[in-house]
Amino acid sequence: MERIRLVCAICVAGLALAGCGSGDDGTPQATGTTHTETTTAAETTGETESTPTPEPRVTVRIVVRDGGPVGGLARPEVSRNDRVTLVVDADVAGDVHLHGYDLEGRVEPGSSARISFRATIPGRFEIELHAHPEIHVGELTVRP
Amino acid sequence: MIVLAHGIGGVRDLPVPESFFFSTAAVVLVVSFVLLGALWKRPLLERHADGRRLPRSLEAVLLSRALRIVLGTASVGLLVLAFVSAAFGTAIELLNFAPTFVYVVFWIGLPGLSVLLGDVWRVLSPWRAIADATAWVIARSGREPRALLDPPAGSGLYPAAAALFAFVALELAYQRPADPRVLAVAIALYTYWALGGMVIYGREAWTRQGEGFAVAFSLLARIAPFAARDGELVVRWPLTGLVGRERQPGTLVFIAVMLGSTSFDGFSRTTAWQDLLANVRLDLAGESQRTIDLVLTLVNALGLAAFVGAVVLTYLAAVVWAGRLVRPGRSLVPDFVFPLVPVAFAYLVAHYFSLFVIQGQFIVTLASDPLGRGWDLFGTADFAPNLTIVSPETVWYVQVVSLTLGHVAGLTVAHDRAVTLFENRSDALRSQYPMLALMVLYTVGGLWLLSRG
Repeated sequence: MERIRLVCAICVAGLALAGCGSGDDGTPQATGTTHTETTTAAETTGETESTPTPEPRVTVRIVVRDGGPVGGLARPEVSRNDRVTLVVDADVAGDVHLHGYDLEGRVEPGSSARISFRATIPGRFEIELHAHPEIHVGELTVRP
Repeated sequence: MIVLAHGIGGVRDLPVPESFFFSTAAVVLVVSFVLLGALWKRPLLERHADGRRLPRSLEAVLLSRALRIVLGTASVGLLVLAFVSAAFGTAIELLNFAPTFVYVVFWIGLPGLSVLLGDVWRVLSPWRAIADATAWVIARSGREPRALLDPPAGSGLYPAAAALFAFVALELAYQRPADPRVLAVAIALYTYWALGGMVIYGREAWTRQGEGFAVAFSLLARIAPFAARDGELVVRWPLTGLVGRERQPGTLVFIAVMLGSTSFDGFSRTTAWQDLLANVRLDLAGESQRTIDLVLTLVNALGLAAFVGAVVLTYLAAVVWAGRLVRPGRSLVPDFVFPLVPVAFAYLVAHYFSLFVIQGQFIVTLASDPLGRGWDLFGTADFAPNLTIVSPETVWYVQVVSLTLGHVAGLTVAHDRAVTLFENRSDALRSQYPMLALMVLYTVGGLWLLSRG
């Protein structure tokens, strides 16, 4: 339990920093576990493909404990063409699956899944953790 | 779809923005009142229901036995292909022909085709084709193909409604609707249902009362500008097939399954329902996957049934209210059921348009490799579907326009019915206030579901 609380505290702190990190339409991020931040281009995370005008880099962090995402279903939002890194930390082993984009990442206790991609398709996309039993993590919104 | 895991329906629509919601709702209200005031005083649709006969040469081709045999063979072939893929192909949903074929090409494509061209399912149904061929063989051997029993009196469309409910429950309530093996069982069971019913109750009776898809598509085909009647093909005003009152018990329940299932599909994507399911999952932590799936399926099935029930109850409330206003001396329940058909089709378009154009593209790849074995039968295995083929804005416009048109069509049919029923114009108008309220409820409610995050 202590660990969960700690993780939550980190997430909430991160949320405060994230505030206006994801675009200019002012939609606030609602869930406590979803942490969206814009890092500078100098910090190389995610894809290495280089383009003349780099799109914002967005990291979405989700923590899964005791059979579900901490703080309820995660509903992160990013903008189209953002370079997104989805980081899922869990206390079980399994495959994190992002629907639509059809990307998977392996997660183990102590080793997060990292899925990096450019958000080229607008829409809503389920995030699932294929473990035993399966866990519905949340859904990613890619705004047009 | 709620969970068509691994790619089927992976790209979901964004909620309709509030601005769209409010402006469309306002348009719907204004249009409704203008329609109510300005509409014709005498039945218009009924007068045009007969239509004009198509040229004989065209009729000869379209109703020919050769075409029937070609189409029937093709559709039986597709049924077999869907079953073989589902039963023996890859278990990966997106790489198997069956899920995309059944839920996208068939279940969204056929309603569209029926509304455009009429009751094409009569010649496209593989089950009907098998039954017709069997009857032909029996007749050739000198015996007369006969039904074993008459359908129970008063059974009406209830068997068909039960069949359709089973299908939408598989699609929307069950946790793994696109699992190929599950689909193989479903295809087999439905084939028994369709063929068994035709053997017992006769081809014609079961097509009209028990085969859920046949009933759904023939109801939607009433919207179409074409129809086949007594061996003749006619072109007519759209919607004229919906005049008159329903004559089969269970029509209301059947249409409620169509309308209620689509709206539940929308509701099941809302945060409220998703959170509820997530909580159920948490409560079941430690249970087996099987138990969790079972409970979630039951919760979804209850939600689905509640939406179907809500359609029936709101309709009955509106009709009882109309009866109080005009005192017709008999129940009006059968009279205003058909106006719900265009609304049901509009819901279908609004909810599944993007699935059809996005997921539908996968059938090009899947046709070349239906079992997911790495084949390339038609050289299309490398076709790359364009997942951004429609923008979210286009989807929103299609959604609000289809719901609005469905609303106008429904009101038009209801109005025509009212002026047929009541000679007194003020009675006709008064009977329409509750129908108007009902239609506004369905349309604005449908829009609201699409705008929920």
